[in-house]
Amino acid sequence: MGGVSTTRSALGALGLLVGVYGAYLLLSRQDLDQLLSAAIWLAGGVLVHDGLVALAALGLVALGARLLPAAARTPAAVGFVVLGSITILAIPMLGRFGAKDDNATLLDRNYGLGWLGIVVLVVAAVLVASVLRARSGGRAAGPATGTDVEGDPS
Amino acid sequence: MTPSPPPSRSSRSPLPDGLPIPSEDDFTSRLRSPAVAARVGLWLGISFGVCFLTGLISHYAQNGNQPIPFPASPFWGYRVTQGLHVISGTAAIPLLLVKLWAVYPRLFQSMPWGNVRAMAVTGLERLSIAVLVAGGVFMLLTGLLNTAQWYPWSFSFRPTHYAVAWVTIGALVVHIAVKLPVIRDALTGDVEDTTHDRPSAVETGALSRRGLLRTTWAATGIAVLATAGSTVPFLRNVSVLAVRTGDGPQGVPINRSARAAQVTMEEGGAGWTLDVVNGEGVATSWSRSDLEQLTQRTETLPIACVEGWSASAEWTGVRLRDLLDAAGVPTGTDLRMVSLQKRYAFGVTELQGNFADADKTLVALKLNGEDLSLDHGYPARLIAPNRPGVLQTKWLTSVEVI
Repeated sequence: MGGVSTTRSALGALGLLVGVYGAYLLLSRQDLDQLLSAAIWLAGGVLVHDGLVALAALGLVALGARLLPAAARTPAAVGFVVLGSITILAIPMLGRFGAKDDNATLLDRNYGLGWLGIVVLVVAAVLVASVLRARSGGRAAGPATGTDVEGDPS
Repeated sequence: MTPSPPPSRSSRSPLPDGLPIPSEDDFTSRLRSPAVAARVGLWLGISFGVCFLTGLISHYAQNGNQPIPFPASPFWGYRVTQGLHVISGTAAIPLLLVKLWAVYPRLFQSMPWGNVRAMAVTGLERLSIAVLVAGGVFMLLTGLLNTAQWYPWSFSFRPTHYAVAWVTIGALVVHIAVKLPVIRDALTGDVEDTTHDRPSAVETGALSRRGLLRTTWAATGIAVLATAGSTVPFLRNVSVLAVRTGDGPQGVPINRSARAAQVTMEEGGAGWTLDVVNGEGVATSWSRSDLEQLTQRTETLPIACVEGWSASAEWTGVRLRDLLDAAGVPTGTDLRMVSLQKRYAFGVTELQGNFADADKTLVALKLNGEDLSLDHGYPARLIAPNRPGVLQTKWLTSVEVI
């Protein structure tokens, strides 16, 4: 590892130290059942992202590339990133899972309506941009090939 | 555009045939490149850094044991740091999703089977990434669920969120150390630069690299605007996903109701007194009407919850220091604030001497001009500057010298 600079070695050592301190905090302050639950959530987050969220994104992008007209692909991709992340973020509010019947000040909005409002605005913007791109004759419609079917090596 | 070289299959892992596991080379989008990952990663790293520092502040503010006393001013300090904590964590959600998308092919990176040393290095690096991703997802997920008070787990939120924060930041620093040369090249080079790209990452798609980055910043901005109204008053009408409108009885939201804490109006009735117990164990007692006879002060102070929401209000009551003087408690004395609440944590909290002596610290009897409602802590509650909401003891029954 002669090529590794002192800065990087020091940074790596510092990171390791900080991480080990965290692991000590994690393991020393709770009982086994609680630790098991934390372990499940730590591993579960990775599994759900890598196995479900990432695959769903791959599938939806492939589907969009196949079904959407060329002029709509770029606006749709933008809309997908925005709505995808906002929707994931909105799940705890949309489900109102933490709502308490003795506290009307918590989760006190109509989240379904709010989320729908964002969806309507984004979809409208995607449609307008798509129509404008189609009218401008495809010049602004991105690459002519437009195939973005990732993960399809055929 | 250079043509894509044929994917190399020679170094694939010796997994049984038939498993549909892709290789790194199956991912062809040129968006999944270090140039994109480093740019999104920079902002993700900044938001994690802000989260970590503000989180440390919040954790320390809630600690009973404070070698260096947490300051009682500025009175809006905790409101700002905890608001920032939740805002930067929320901003990190779209950033993390795009970042993970950009580096997803690395999950299928082949192991250098056979070369023990190379396997060890690759294995260690991948282990540090696994810890970083697990910790990063865990922090954002548990933080998000905590803002919405949804706890579908059996671990204790605060110590776990705190410990995993250290683990995650440690793994992040290791990751930066490992990737530093690539990060430096990517951030100083052009966004279209392909020097560090995987050989197969050549396909153009619907979005350009700049397009994806701008989209990511837009998604991040929308995520913040949609939620920050819980703590930023002028965003209230925009933040359609905020966990609080900021409204509530007497114009202020509540976190724990009297019903949940099992406190009734009768307990705060005629028989109620506030007892201030001094260092000699002698108690001085005030009924609510006694307290109303003392000099009344009005302070504008926020309730700033650890869950990130906050609301400013006008509190009227007796300056705590006035009561301590009457009971013969010297300045600089740490106190124990005891609530009537029978359930949940924080029924007994510590109030450091500098908070007890602060001019703005009140035993509040009124909120926004009306007698405190039971849910806001009737007959009397603590309200102090720059203090986490969970420590603003409601249904106060005694104040004791520790």
